[in-house]
Amino acid sequence: MTPPSWLGQGWLAPHYLGWLLQGAAMTAALALCVCLSATVLGVLLTAAQDSKQRWLQWPARLFCSLHRNSPLLVQVLLWYFGVGGLLPDQAMQWLNSPHQLPLPLGLNLSWPSFEWLAAWIALSLYSACFISGELAAGLRTVGSGQRLAGRALGMSEWQIFRFIVLPQALRHIRQPLLGQYTAIIKNTSLTMAIGVAELSYTSRQVESETLLAFQAFAVATLLYLLLVIATQLAGSQRSAEEPGR
Amino acid sequence: MMLTLLHDNLDYLLWGNLTRGQPGGLLLTLGISLAAGMLATLGGLVGGVALCMGGPRLCRVLDTLVQILRAIPVLMLIFWCYFLLPILFGIDIPGVLTVIAALAVINAAYLSQSVKAGIDAIGDGQWRAAQALGMTRWQALRYIILPPALRAMLPSFVNQWITLLKDSSLAYVVGVAEFTFVATQINNREQVYPLQIFGLLAIGYLLLCSTLEWLGRRAGRMPA
Repeated sequence: MTPPSWLGQGWLAPHYLGWLLQGAAMTAALALCVCLSATVLGVLLTAAQDSKQRWLQWPARLFCSLHRNSPLLVQVLLWYFGVGGLLPDQAMQWLNSPHQLPLPLGLNLSWPSFEWLAAWIALSLYSACFISGELAAGLRTVGSGQRLAGRALGMSEWQIFRFIVLPQALRHIRQPLLGQYTAIIKNTSLTMAIGVAELSYTSRQVESETLLAFQAFAVATLLYLLLVIATQLAGSQRSAEEPGR
Repeated sequence: MMLTLLHDNLDYLLWGNLTRGQPGGLLLTLGISLAAGMLATLGGLVGGVALCMGGPRLCRVLDTLVQILRAIPVLMLIFWCYFLLPILFGIDIPGVLTVIAALAVINAAYLSQSVKAGIDAIGDGQWRAAQALGMTRWQALRYIILPPALRAMLPSFVNQWITLLKDSSLAYVVGVAEFTFVATQINNREQVYPLQIFGLLAIGYLLLCSTLEWLGRRAGRMPA
């Protein structure tokens, strides 16, 4: 039986699979960095929106609604072309030339490319707004009676937050937060528009070199599925280990 | 200077080469979003109802499909549609239709889950009351369950439409001349005001999404 013509001839050569794996590694690395920075930023944004200081509340709200209501791709392009264009020539030259940070054990950490930096910043700011939305929703699930009860016991505001609100809110936050981390993995695909060599970018590259579109996209799709499933398994494992549930 | 640039390019940014029969820019973004939005809403409703009313085997197949669609990036789905649609139909499919198809499918998958959740949220008592009145399952769904469920779903529909509008910018990657693509074209040609051009682009989307959000909130407040 001959395969249908659209399937093309043969399978991907090993070095093309290597490209795709490298792309997946880039996707995973970028997503991991974004998850970390966006979570920290999301906590800060939530704290600012939750604070009693007006001058902290409003900028944080404005920041979030601006980022949530415009496309991520536009934000990525804005950071790459827009902010990149503002930087002085010397800074751009420095950013575009390779730099190495020597680490112990003979390892070298190379400074990321400007595309990577722009992608990381844009994705972090965008995702932080969505994460802060989930965090705020989680905090709201804890009734105000609980806070009052804490105060009646003579707890300080910080103690109320640390020992009463946070443990309960965390339970409600875990699942939505995992959803946001999944979204971050998927959103890294947009950075191919500015030339970050992540999984979507490499799948397109392999497709145009080999003309084996089905094979290239199938492998890339499987790798995305694996990354997403691994994230969700890791998340549900942690919640199973948690005592007292 | 920025004003002259804006003045020279505004027409192109808003509707592309419309006079030559090639709509583009903001107009095309609206067209793509509207078409994909309607298809996705229809697909989401059908899918959600099927998830509630269908047999266990249909539900399992649909559920797996939805899970897979939710786990891959929209961009990857656009690539798949680009490759598969011409094979399926045996003809060349323009890029715009490819993007509309991809956006419709992925958003229908998300919406079908909201529809199912909305229907599930209506209590069992309502179903039983309808049965007691002699209604069939489908009559109960049509007259008793769906009206309040749809009202409750409206916020998640509006959110999904906003997501779809934002995702229509991905058409840029496959070279469809919508709002984002046209703006990058202008940026490549002028090379002087990247921040202003992309800032303006963001503001354009911002206005569209905020309007949609506001309309949704207004509709949500309206009496039945």
